[in-house]
Amino acid sequence: MNTRIRWLLAAAFLVSSLPMGGQTPGAGAGLHRVWAITNTRIVVSPSKPALDKATVIVRDGLIEAVGAGLAVPPDAETIDGSKLTVFPGLFDALGASLLKLPEEKFDETKIYTGNYTDKDRGVTPELKAFEYLSLGKSTVEKYHKLGILAAQVLPNRGILTGQASVTALGDADKNKAVLLKDAALGVAFSPAGVSLFPNSLMGTVAYLRQAFSDALDYDLRSGRWRAEMKGSARPAHNSQLEILAGFLQGRKPVIFFCNDRHDILRALRLAEEFKLNSFVADLGGEGWRVIPELQKAKARVFCTVAFKPPVTSLMTKLGKAEKEKAEKEIYPKNPAKLAEAGVPFAFSSLGTDDPKSYMEGVQKAVEAGLAKTKALEALTAVPAAFLGLDRALGTVEPGKIANLVLAEDDLLAKDPKVRYVFADGERVDLVSAKAKEGEKPTVNVSGRWEIAAEGIPKLPIDFVQEEGSLSGKLTTPYGVFDFTGGSVSAKDIYFEVNLAVGGQQIDLYFSATVEGDTMRGTIVQGTSGSTEFTAKRIPG
Amino acid sequence: MNGKIAKTAWLGLAVLAFVAAGAAADQPLLLKGGNVITVSGEILRGGSILIQGGKIAAVGMAVTAPAGAKTFDLAGQWVMPGIIDSHAHIAADGDLNETGDVLAPEVDIRDVLNPDDINIWYALTGGVTTIHTMHGSADPIGGRGVVLKLRWGAAQGQDLIFAGAPLTSKWALGENPKRSNMGGAGRARYPQTRMGVEASIRDVFEQARTYMRSWDEHNRKVKEAEKARKPGPPPLPPRKDYRLEIVAGILRGEYWVRCHAYQAEEMLSILRLCQEYGVKLVCFEHGLEGYRITNELAAAGVAVSTFTDFWGYKWEAFQTMPYAAALMAQRGVLVALNSDDAERMRRLFNDAAKTVRFGGLAEAEAIRMLTINPARILGVDKWVGTIEAGKDADLAVFSRHPLDPYTVCEKTIVDGKVLFDRAKYLDERRKAEEEKNKKEAEAAKPKEKKIGGEV
Repeated sequence: MNTRIRWLLAAAFLVSSLPMGGQTPGAGAGLHRVWAITNTRIVVSPSKPALDKATVIVRDGLIEAVGAGLAVPPDAETIDGSKLTVFPGLFDALGASLLKLPEEKFDETKIYTGNYTDKDRGVTPELKAFEYLSLGKSTVEKYHKLGILAAQVLPNRGILTGQASVTALGDADKNKAVLLKDAALGVAFSPAGVSLFPNSLMGTVAYLRQAFSDALDYDLRSGRWRAEMKGSARPAHNSQLEILAGFLQGRKPVIFFCNDRHDILRALRLAEEFKLNSFVADLGGEGWRVIPELQKAKARVFCTVAFKPPVTSLMTKLGKAEKEKAEKEIYPKNPAKLAEAGVPFAFSSLGTDDPKSYMEGVQKAVEAGLAKTKALEALTAVPAAFLGLDRALGTVEPGKIANLVLAEDDLLAKDPKVRYVFADGERVDLVSAKAKEGEKPTVNVSGRWEIAAEGIPKLPIDFVQEEGSLSGKLTTPYGVFDFTGGSVSAKDIYFEVNLAVGGQQIDLYFSATVEGDTMRGTIVQGTSGSTEFTAKRIPG
Repeated sequence: MNGKIAKTAWLGLAVLAFVAAGAAADQPLLLKGGNVITVSGEILRGGSILIQGGKIAAVGMAVTAPAGAKTFDLAGQWVMPGIIDSHAHIAADGDLNETGDVLAPEVDIRDVLNPDDINIWYALTGGVTTIHTMHGSADPIGGRGVVLKLRWGAAQGQDLIFAGAPLTSKWALGENPKRSNMGGAGRARYPQTRMGVEASIRDVFEQARTYMRSWDEHNRKVKEAEKARKPGPPPLPPRKDYRLEIVAGILRGEYWVRCHAYQAEEMLSILRLCQEYGVKLVCFEHGLEGYRITNELAAAGVAVSTFTDFWGYKWEAFQTMPYAAALMAQRGVLVALNSDDAERMRRLFNDAAKTVRFGGLAEAEAIRMLTINPARILGVDKWVGTIEAGKDADLAVFSRHPLDPYTVCEKTIVDGKVLFDRAKYLDERRKAEEEKNKKEAEAAKPKEKKIGGEV
């Protein structure tokens, strides 16, 4: 959205007063940045008892205070939380769906010329997820509806796959949303698809061993030269080894993509050999088959919820019935078994299709015996700790980033009723803008009214009500807009207006309750934000 | 296809249940009154074998069971040492040829072991208890192999490894490392000739020698610096090169080299190269023309691990015959019969019989080609390959003499555990099938064709 249009809209009337979620950088900044969610239930941390009838105060993007009996600050906008529970925002602790990597097409002539590059063999440690983050509105909305407010994103192609980025799911501007850049290095046992070393599984292990060793060697030599320039030979610059060195010797973390339990063991051996600060991404859901090894290595696991037995598992080879049994009964128990064994894990969306199937996978894990508190931990506190962000995220505590989910019920329910989220400190309303239907109207609003909302000029609005159906028009300095729909039920009214301003289409949904000659209600703009309004009947 | 999948399903169900039961306890086991082919001595007709703690505790005509022992009455049946296949490509995941580089000696099959490979089970049904599994033959030096026990039901790949077996390095000569049957990239790759294959090996030997010298030099400098108590940081070591480390190990004789080769001239040439560099060349794999150079092989103490009647599949495999294995054995070459194939692996005893039929070998000698000979080639003859007190209880029980065309493997025992028992397995398969049919009848679905027959 360009600046001119935004200015137009702001000038037009009420759009400027709508908190716009993350969709318009800068919009809402400085306005309505203080909220008090009152009289609510707060899951401070999944492992602790929830607070009842308590208050959360959010100020300028951070949680200011949490507790019972807090005074609502005078500058705060209040959200009645009496029917809601406040949860810490959920994580997708390891995913790739927010990543829009360019399509790679292999140049077939290389087969004959032999002029391969490291990219052809899947060695791209320089590939930074941050550069390819895509936080589009419609994408982020899907996460918000499920309460997922932060994600770690890591390229997953090749052997040395690239560097992770951890981002909040609030602002569309990745520069504002990003929490950690170049956070972890991805490593996979994926052979090159071309005639280039390593193009076998065994070769990838050998390759990685040499690569890690070379990075240590480079580190040693360049360190020596920096310390003792006199009398030391300086190594030639090697940007790849320089990157790798930053992830070795327990420095920044390395995440191993593991497709089966054998990959996990390969990863643990390499991690031990090179003293890596490592994580296992258990994409095959086979952690349960290597529990003693995971325990011994004190491994930290990113756990899939896709529950598809890997091709190397005998269970995939014993016929359809055995495979289906494994998918339904055996693999979904993986998280429960990790929890039982005390292996720390966070959930990863890798292997699932979208945020919805990710959360459905988590539900399956719960059905298969994982305690709900453990499941919530694996979505909140554990990933925050894994990513080194536990001082900023993972629980509802003062000083932390306001990543909050306000839901009517259980966040792990089939279709969780998430009403609001605070995404990186910004309020996003997910109230579904639908009127009650079917009741006989007890009011008639036909005639001219004047609508008022904070920060906008008063605007005339004309209603035509026929029984339960409502039409009308909204007059603005930029034109008159007819309702695109409307209804009246008892004393509740609902109508929609589609604003076309400067080539932009903006849907506004109004819902209000009428008392005599006044009405009071809410304007929702898509799922991006909402504001309160009042209107008065103009006599005559 | 469906039939095959269904059959596999029965098999798996039964197998999974079976392993769990078989691995129950360390109960002593008496194999009573069978015909025991000890390999180390005479055949004991009506002899018995006592197994305790995974080892053969006693073997003889008057062995009795201690209290609490489980007894199998083997009257009329035959027992031989578990069959050893010295050339296999099972129980490993992924592509087993690293064709990205010409030489990849550092690649290690131990990194990709998979104990769930169904071929382990199939091998057990043919009396095989130990294998040498390795990568393919695409590279002049293509990696490291490993000796495995077929401990079906083991949790992890590492649990299969035969403890104490020497490390192996597999090489290959001829058409495969030339990649002459490959299109595309194969055509652009060095080496393209047999000369080139050998030269590539010599070349990496020289690189490794230089590499070894650089480490010797470094170690000398470190010692000197320590002695002189020179201030400042210690000398920097050379870059560690995993590939050359392994080649250095080969040059120091730490690896038992197994070389895939067909042609006599080529085998002699690489034998000379190994002698020149002091490399421990243990065995030629396939070695179909080995019968032409038996004097040289016997003198050098190099074995041949070969097929009996499998040849003619490419030009370098033309010049042989089913008599070759017997001819080599009769001239004093250590010969083993191998499978190179998951399917052939479970009927190696048939292959051994062919050396009697075509080469006129004594039955005992034919049996040795499946047992003590491959054990010696693999360096595991201390533990397996014969039936003697103190050795591992790795045994195969057959319905008739193992070289009889109508023989069937009845039981296979690894480390004293009965991992395959045909009667029990067939019974469980039948029960599983009955149960399935019952379920299907209940669900009123059309029944599948009945699947039966032997494994």
